[in-house]
Amino acid sequence: MAALPRRIIKETQRLMQEPVPGISAVPSETNARYFHVIVTGPEDSPFEGGLFKLELFLPEDYPMSAPKVRFITKIYHPNIDRLGRICLDILKDKWSPALQIRTVLLSIQALLSAPNPDDPLANDVAELWKVNESEAIRNAKEWTRRYAMDN
Amino acid sequence: MSVTVDERVTDEVEALEAILMDDVVIKRVGDVPDIIETVVHPSTGDDIDQQFVCVTLEVKLTPGYPDTSPEVTLRNPRGLDDELLATINSQIREKLNDCLGQPVVFELIELIRENLTESNLPSGQCVICLYGFTEGDVFIKTQCYHHFHSHCLASHLIAGKKYYQEELEKLPNWQQMQAPPYQQTCPVCRCPVSCDVETLNTAPPPVDSITAPPFCLTDELKDLQLKMATLLAEQVAKGGVVGMGDTGPPPLTITTPADNDDEATNGTSSGSQDVNKVDATRNGSSSNDNSSPGSPSSRPVYHGPYRGFNRRGKPARRGRSAR
Repeated sequence: MAALPRRIIKETQRLMQEPVPGISAVPSETNARYFHVIVTGPEDSPFEGGLFKLELFLPEDYPMSAPKVRFITKIYHPNIDRLGRICLDILKDKWSPALQIRTVLLSIQALLSAPNPDDPLANDVAELWKVNESEAIRNAKEWTRRYAMDN
Repeated sequence: MSVTVDERVTDEVEALEAILMDDVVIKRVGDVPDIIETVVHPSTGDDIDQQFVCVTLEVKLTPGYPDTSPEVTLRNPRGLDDELLATINSQIREKLNDCLGQPVVFELIELIRENLTESNLPSGQCVICLYGFTEGDVFIKTQCYHHFHSHCLASHLIAGKKYYQEELEKLPNWQQMQAPPYQQTCPVCRCPVSCDVETLNTAPPPVDSITAPPFCLTDELKDLQLKMATLLAEQVAKGGVVGMGDTGPPPLTITTPADNDDEATNGTSSGSQDVNKVDATRNGSSSNDNSSPGSPSSRPVYHGPYRGFNRRGKPARRGRSAR
């Protein structure tokens, strides 16, 4: 394996030493560019109480290009599709090398608090979110309970 | 409320405006000066290119000023780390106490300028590589006063342009014509910048990155990995790693035709309890495949039975199936 850039090592160590509350990111034992991630659902959101597993991969030219991040746990959210792909500008055209693993994950956690049905990735979810928000929120809570909670 | 302004304040404000001219902003409430704001730079004569740090000084005048201390805030520090800011702030507090009863803004500007002149080398790190700036490094200050190793900024600008081109080519022709031209931006604040990438790109990589020992698995890192593995195992054991070992759906993994072939030959349609094992295999085999991790083409991927989406009576799924 090619030498791991020191930036990735620094980020990894800081993630361990100063973890972000509600977020854990753990590099795989076999590939230091692949992280197992758990993001807790933010308080006062329909995802509260849920533990959402994600995978994060740092591509070869990281930090010049964005990490690849995907939800593994099912989630009912207008900006996350059924394959777990996330619609978030900083993962695409708004990526900047000044961002880090921790800031990306914080942004994803913030996206859970602030769904944006006007820029949807999951069309059916976004549609319901717009026409009947309370039912959409009920669905999101139900999915959280069913898929993202213990037992 | 009386609008008579203390003569000492009037004199001070007049003097500030006369000397700093456009570089000072006086915000007034009615006729009464309220906030004095100015950006302080190190003294480098007229050589603006040699000013690598700056900070905005904001002085909010209190009703009793100058017999009471004004509220002083430092904003938008550039190239200054927290330690240096703390030092300057404590010196400001001392100065405010010493100068009670007399106008203090000029004194503050001088005090800050002295500090900046002494530390006119960006402290902190280059946010692109996370290395500091040391003797021998070639670095650049953007128009927005952010600092990067020239080498690092070049990599960013080259990657940014490449991304722009790739995205542009995806657009239909008529949209390509209308697309705004490529604009270099600062990685920190996204302000437009204009840099000569070719010149930047001739700069050597950061000194610390050359002298740093090559990466090897230190005991510390091994220890960290062990802790991580334990943590993960615990989470799996108690079902905390969701989607695994319960009746919920398997992880949703984007598949490609190549994966389907793998599946056909390997027959890996195991139960969801095996996901962790498969995960590990996948990571192992992907260590050299960094090109398209979002849609792995060469790793064996878990393809458990897809269930769950229709359990709640949702309409049949459309688009790609997540086998």
